[in-house]
Amino acid sequence: MELLNLNIPSWSDLAYWRPEAILCGTFLAALLGDLIGRGRRPAISFVISVFGLITAGAYSVAAVLHGGAAHTIMGDLIIVDGMAAFFRLLFILAGLATVLFSWTAEEIMGRKRENKAEFFYLTVLMTAAMMVMAEARDLLMLFLSMEAVGLVSYVMAGYMRTSLRSTEASLKYVIFGAVSSGIMLYGLSLLYGMTGAMTFDGIRAGLLAGEVNGLSLLITVILILAGMSYKIAAVPFHFWCPDVYEGAPTPVAAIFSVGPKAAGFALMIRFFYTTLAAGADPSASAPLIELINWPLLMAVIAAVTMTYGNLVALRQLNVKRMLAYSSISHVGYLLMGFVLLTDAGLAAILFYLAVYTLMNLGAFFVVVALNNHIKSEELDDYAGIGFRAPWLGTMMVIFLASLTGVPPFAGFAGKFYVFTAVMDRQWFWLAILAALNSVVGLYYYFRVVKAMFLTRPAEGADTTPLKIHWLQYTVLAVLAVPTLVLGFWFGPLKVLADQAIGLLSTGM
Amino acid sequence: MEITLSHYLLLAGAVFTTGMVGFVIRRNAIVMLMCVELMLSSTNIVFAAFSRFHGNADGHVFVLMNFAVAAAEAAIGLAILVEIFRRRRTVNVDDFKTLME
Amino acid sequence: MDTMLPMGSVDVGMNGHFATVLIFVLIGFFFAAVALIVAKLLRPHDPNPTKLTTYECGEETRGSSWIRFNVRFYLVALFFIVFDVEVIFLYPWAVVFKHLLPLPELGVLVFWEMVIFLVILSLGLAYIWVKGDLDWVKKLVDRAEDEPPRRNPLLKSVTNEEGSQ
Repeated sequence: MELLNLNIPSWSDLAYWRPEAILCGTFLAALLGDLIGRGRRPAISFVISVFGLITAGAYSVAAVLHGGAAHTIMGDLIIVDGMAAFFRLLFILAGLATVLFSWTAEEIMGRKRENKAEFFYLTVLMTAAMMVMAEARDLLMLFLSMEAVGLVSYVMAGYMRTSLRSTEASLKYVIFGAVSSGIMLYGLSLLYGMTGAMTFDGIRAGLLAGEVNGLSLLITVILILAGMSYKIAAVPFHFWCPDVYEGAPTPVAAIFSVGPKAAGFALMIRFFYTTLAAGADPSASAPLIELINWPLLMAVIAAVTMTYGNLVALRQLNVKRMLAYSSISHVGYLLMGFVLLTDAGLAAILFYLAVYTLMNLGAFFVVVALNNHIKSEELDDYAGIGFRAPWLGTMMVIFLASLTGVPPFAGFAGKFYVFTAVMDRQWFWLAILAALNSVVGLYYYFRVVKAMFLTRPAEGADTTPLKIHWLQYTVLAVLAVPTLVLGFWFGPLKVLADQAIGLLSTGM
Repeated sequence: MEITLSHYLLLAGAVFTTGMVGFVIRRNAIVMLMCVELMLSSTNIVFAAFSRFHGNADGHVFVLMNFAVAAAEAAIGLAILVEIFRRRRTVNVDDFKTLME
Repeated sequence: MDTMLPMGSVDVGMNGHFATVLIFVLIGFFFAAVALIVAKLLRPHDPNPTKLTTYECGEETRGSSWIRFNVRFYLVALFFIVFDVEVIFLYPWAVVFKHLLPLPELGVLVFWEMVIFLVILSLGLAYIWVKGDLDWVKKLVDRAEDEPPRRNPLLKSVTNEEGSQ
């Protein structure tokens, strides 16, 4: 029997894939531990998960230090390169922070929960699936990894299975998630039909070789964008986002707001950059982008997304919902880097994603810590809370200021790179709109700060200092310090992001 | 009459549209999930047809994987629905308004 | 596709294949019609009110047939779907396994890959077993007993919303 002419998988492939393999093993071990403990010993799964995430993180760091060329493994399905290494570190950071922080979160570990341990190993599984999303170089792997992340998130959104709000959030997520992945799948099948290839570079070759009809390519790209926009919550596929963030437990919302979004961006970068953009040969592919008027399409989506997110966030009185809309607006800023599909723009996206992960995770975690005590996410209940928990309040100010994009916080550096990437190619209206949006953001972010520090609590309200667990303080400090430091010392991260994208363009 | 590629594509388009329209007009969550399954199945037809057309097996492999994913999605969707039904005694999506503004 | 034809047979083309289907359909209709017509001719015709009821003996039907099934049937269906469909991977694997086995390294790889897949699948089975979802009557008491009553009044607002089953 003749084997097809492809890169045959072998055990040696696993040498480049240790972090993912370790996380999959961690998931299974933690699941087994949960079963052995009969669901009453969440500590077993917690310890296994933390240990597995740290080990996987160590291997990822080792892979970065080793450097080296891109490796295509698993029979051409997966590529491990600089960008994959960058996102590995990002996802492990997000996963580890979420697992550690949730150990003391009432919404996860509250006494009435019967499935406490599940949260930890589901987070591990989601981290592994997100890493695969950043490594997929084939339509099959693209679809499978997106579905893996999606399926885990549907379950996690409905984690509080006795809560009406949580199950409702989960149902909305799963129904609309399924339909958007169906739409994307239709686009993928048409793309396969046009080119006869499944790998991204095969598709690119097919598109360049054949006579591609502009309209059919545009329709296909829009269908695929629908599925991906759902994952990153870009308008018009954003409607699930506020509901799911509000209904799901806050730690789950925290990882939703950074993990799957960053993974969606990683996937979009690799997919659209490889199939449509210049790559190593700038002259060859410009027609493809021009054919479907990609810059205008992306610019409009970015502009609408950021404006919508910001304007609706203005009138939110629930902090979780406000953060949900703010995350939509940040997706708008991030999409600006996509408008031209240039190396500078994509590197800016990577930089912004890293910063966004730190600050958004931090802001959500502060909400979790406060929720443990005041059992509410309403802005009115935050009155004077800054004086009851001064350190927590200070960190919230750091995260919110960074989200606004005020210097000297990390968010400013992130926005700066995205804006310059757009202005380099004379898209001034987009940059101006984004700047105006940032000013709008200032208003609603600082309303939270105002409530925490400048509003008097109602008469007779509890004013005793809050006791915050040391683990929570540690995790928050680990997120807050880089948010501060990266504001003025962003060189190394920028170099890392540039390298990641540089390797993407040469390592095909 | 010879059945050609375009017939398969037309069939798939019809099935996909049926699913899409059903998803939009029906309010029963189980029926909506079934419509989504229809959409996924229509892409299976496209993949299988193109796989034969291009003469490589990639599309067939995709179809197999798609089956498994569709089943997993249906299973999770149904599990969530069962949980919701236990509390609310309804699966009509118009009744789920806890999270509206 | 012609390699798929058995030895000695003639390629009749697609229309030929559909002609066979058409003949089968026609024969099917013919048999059903003949059976009905013959029965009509032979049987005596003598209706009375008792005979015209739905069930001549047994209970009379009441209410609509659109009743709600117990939600547990859905759970069983769920488990069935998952485990049934995963077998889809076993089938193509089994077909090519014999060809791949003699190849060095690859044969072993393919074998162990499937073993890993099945181990993961059986872990899923173990999960629903331990969680008690395979029992028709789920033991809810088991879980409630290790929940001591709440003392902290601050935690009340969470429980209110969740309600009890």
